[in-house]
Amino acid sequence: MLAGIDYFIVIAYIIGMLLLGLYFKKFVNSSEDYFLGGKSLPFWAIGMSIVVSDIGALDFVGVSGQAYRYGISVGNFDWVGSVPAMLLAAFIFIPYFWRGGMYTIPEYLGRRYNQKVRTIASVTWILFFALDLGVLFWASAVLLNVLMGWPIWISIVATAGVVGLYTYFGGITAVIMTDVVQFVIMFIGGFALVFLSLYEVGGWDNMVDKIATMGPEYRNHFDIIQPQDTKSPFPWTGILFGLTFVMANAYMIGNQSIVQRCLTAKNEWHAKASMIFGSALKMFIPILVLFPGLMAVVVHPGLLDGDQALPMMIKSILPPGLVGLMFAAFFAGLMSSVDSLLNSTATLFTKDIYEPFIKKGADDKHYLRVGQITTLVLLLIGVATSPISSDFPGIYVAIQTFMSYFQGPIFAILLLGIFWKRTTEWGGLSALVIGIGFAIYLNVFKEQFFTIEDPFLYISWWSFLLGFIVNVTVSLLTKKHTEEQLQGLVFSSKILVKNKKL
Amino acid sequence: METNEINARLKAAQINNALGFFIMAFGVIVLFAMIYTETFIEHMTDMVAGIILISIGGGMMWRAKSNIKKLKAKKE
Repeated sequence: MLAGIDYFIVIAYIIGMLLLGLYFKKFVNSSEDYFLGGKSLPFWAIGMSIVVSDIGALDFVGVSGQAYRYGISVGNFDWVGSVPAMLLAAFIFIPYFWRGGMYTIPEYLGRRYNQKVRTIASVTWILFFALDLGVLFWASAVLLNVLMGWPIWISIVATAGVVGLYTYFGGITAVIMTDVVQFVIMFIGGFALVFLSLYEVGGWDNMVDKIATMGPEYRNHFDIIQPQDTKSPFPWTGILFGLTFVMANAYMIGNQSIVQRCLTAKNEWHAKASMIFGSALKMFIPILVLFPGLMAVVVHPGLLDGDQALPMMIKSILPPGLVGLMFAAFFAGLMSSVDSLLNSTATLFTKDIYEPFIKKGADDKHYLRVGQITTLVLLLIGVATSPISSDFPGIYVAIQTFMSYFQGPIFAILLLGIFWKRTTEWGGLSALVIGIGFAIYLNVFKEQFFTIEDPFLYISWWSFLLGFIVNVTVSLLTKKHTEEQLQGLVFSSKILVKNKKL
Repeated sequence: METNEINARLKAAQINNALGFFIMAFGVIVLFAMIYTETFIEHMTDMVAGIILISIGGGMMWRAKSNIKKLKAKKE
């Protein structure tokens, strides 16, 4: 448990976040302000927010733990698993979403294919986001319980109160700007940790020598490319096909909570620049997250649970003050994940479900109110369902894994939707339904198809491939869209230049 | 400059001012935490981290305040 100055810092951080978030209330006057920050935010803030949302506290701990167990190959998720996809998103996809004045990714799918595709994609995201909320509330409560000694229920209510209040009042502006603070603190604390850890292990070369002599299980710790028959979940085939080709693109292009941030940019240049800036920052993440995990192999050898590596390093290496700041940044990481889910789910529900199906053509204040009420309802659902997580210890991993399964088919229809004029509404719909069904089938019978324990990279690849083939086949057999229907929705080389007439 | 553009810039400056204050406040706390450190390297780490946070936060506030002043003058 934390004590003294570190305890004070965590408390001050939580209260400060609440006050900062509430300050942004004054910038919310319309639904566009609430969901898209009034389309006025700068690229640097959005870029930082994308990075922070992507690497939440659970991932921070998890990636360090995987570096401790499997070595530097886990860094692929932030290098080849992010940077190329972010550049593709910046130059090809984001301009279409931004110029189209869209609020959600399913909105694009609705315009490109049909309302059914939009609704299925939106409902799928809403369900997963809502499920994730309870898990994240529980994780936050456990962290507060461990660090501060607060009872679990008080911790849950405190987290929900702080995040709920600033997301309810401040909308996405509060979400992005609180991420900026977290980014600055996480980077400074992270670099301090790397510097002091290197000092502790006697430098990089010394650490490599020590790990090399620790036994055969550490033989591949410094191989970024793992063989196909590796025991780790990161064989090179999975990294290349599942991660680089499918999951990374699906995440950076098809994930509402990521793309919605770019849509808050003040103009198209800032929207593109935010992704490019984010990709540059992403390259530093493995240094901050992976290196402490590797150094923990030397400083704290023989840990039974690799996920303990980072917290142990923070406690044993960082000085008072920075320990509190880093744990506060962890907690802020969890808050950031929760606020992103709240705001994105509220946007999806209001724009893709409420507006087209429940009340069309209402005034803007009405939709702003619906977004805020949805945020509150989600908050209550998250709080009510959070204790369920304690009964299912693997639920977070299960939810993340399931999320990765429908990303393959969604990416297939997004990719063909942008690049192939001939793809039709029935092609998109069948690809989405059959692709998701196939991913579930592969997951249920995974022992029969795959030799590794957690084949999520392979499943996303095969479900993407099937979705792609189904989309092409069905599209060729059904009636194509007219040129007018496709205007501004399919790729044109004009998107790469400053031509606003597409 | 249009009123809308002035308002947008004013909003950005106000946001930066708030962020700068928050970051600077934590820089001061980290600097203060130096008195709880035991070794020289811990002392220096807190000092450098605190100074960096104060510089980033202070810089943001200084820039934001000067922009707010200019933009308010233009608005009037």
